[in-house]
Amino acid sequence: MALRWGQKLRQLMMKTMDLPQDVIMDLPRITMIGQLHIYIENHRGLLTFTDDELRLMLKQGQLLIKGSSFSIKAILPEEILLEGKIDHVFFINE
Amino acid sequence: MKNQWTNFLSGTVRVKAEGKGTERVLNKLVRNKVFVWNVKKIGAETMLFSIHLKDLHNFRRAVRSSGCRYSFLEGSGGPFLFKKLLKNSGILAGFFAFIIVILVLSNMVWRIEIKGAKPETEHLIRKELDKMGVKPGKLQFSLDGADDIQKKLTNNISALTWVGVELKGTTYHFQVVEKKQPKEPVKLPARNLVAKKKAVVAHMFVAKGQPLVAVHDYVKKGQLLVSGTIGNPEHPRIVAADGEVWGETWYKSKVEVPLITKFSVFNGNEKVKHYIKIGGFSIPVWNFKKITYKHYEKEMSERPLKFLKWELPIVYKTSTFRAKEEVTRKYTVPQAVLKAKDMGKKDLRKLLPEDSKIVGEEVLHQEEESGKVKLSLHYKVIENIAVGQPIIQGD
Repeated sequence: MALRWGQKLRQLMMKTMDLPQDVIMDLPRITMIGQLHIYIENHRGLLTFTDDELRLMLKQGQLLIKGSSFSIKAILPEEILLEGKIDHVFFINE
Repeated sequence: MKNQWTNFLSGTVRVKAEGKGTERVLNKLVRNKVFVWNVKKIGAETMLFSIHLKDLHNFRRAVRSSGCRYSFLEGSGGPFLFKKLLKNSGILAGFFAFIIVILVLSNMVWRIEIKGAKPETEHLIRKELDKMGVKPGKLQFSLDGADDIQKKLTNNISALTWVGVELKGTTYHFQVVEKKQPKEPVKLPARNLVAKKKAVVAHMFVAKGQPLVAVHDYVKKGQLLVSGTIGNPEHPRIVAADGEVWGETWYKSKVEVPLITKFSVFNGNEKVKHYIKIGGFSIPVWNFKKITYKHYEKEMSERPLKFLKWELPIVYKTSTFRAKEEVTRKYTVPQAVLKAKDMGKKDLRKLLPEDSKIVGEEVLHQEEESGKVKLSLHYKVIENIAVGQPIIQGD
């Protein structure tokens, strides 16, 4: 119940104060440069990483990126820059 | 993301991690503030990534109980480059040795060139230079400056009128001007001999010509002493009169000698400080002690270091401190008089030709005034008073 209330309050703030959603709601901000780069902010950790798949933990659910010849150019606690050929980006909600 | 250049300077390490759950390891590293980049997965259980050399300690602590095996593949960047350089230190040492050898060789004297001198004079100069230590193979720092060499050469070799000393690179150039020894005049022009100044003729020797004066005669300045016209008055022959007429001449001089004189002399103590000057900044390298002399004179010399043909902004500088002492000289009156006579004589000697003789000395007047002894002196001198005067032959 409390969580719901918090969510609602945040949504209200967002609508009234016109702030960007990712700041207030802890959503991932994803920037892609063609198929070459994908830059994800606000992730919550790495789950799996292979040559053709990257699975990230988000605050809610997971992010699954599929493609080929992946390599992580840089990784910080809340940011990740992935390089390779990106084919699919999936949001997985439980 | 950080600049890769700084990473390169501080050194990076490529790590290989093998085992299950390499992703968890990566998360842990990131949380422990170990910066990780260029992560690649090879196969199912092998991961490659790069970390900073300075994070290596943190990395070890973070992965201690992760159950993976780690190996370091390669290091790159500054520290590793340095290590490699040390490993090849032979080359490095060789390079520095090469530069030092060139530096030393550039600051040596390689050649001494003497121009404009006769072989004898050149030999003399070379001997003198040897004595001074100016020889091929000597370091230029250990030698005197060009000015000093010039001064010493002109002082010590009487055959030199002037010598130009120039240091060009590693070669000393000497430009020599020799004294021209006056040649005996081959043929004297027809002339008379006349008196240089008033005198009493003391003795004479006439080689050629008709003497017109006798010993003990008083002659005036310009008076004819020996005539060049000889022979029968009706058919005179004109020759160059030659001979010496010695006359007694007189000189007056005034000399002053102070009874008390103060002057400062070097007492022989000296200290040399050595510096290396880089740019405008002097760094002392030898003799740091403070100079304790009360009075001293400072002399500085600077020698720029050369590299091949260029002068480096590095200068070898020496300062010589010579101790001075104040000395007071006191004369009693008789001593001062003696000294004054001596001085008067010396001054006169400078004026007179070398073959003349001072035969008499008399004190005309002596007085003491404000700490000084003043003397008027009178000298009798025997000197050659004959000078040639050409006979102008008119029709």
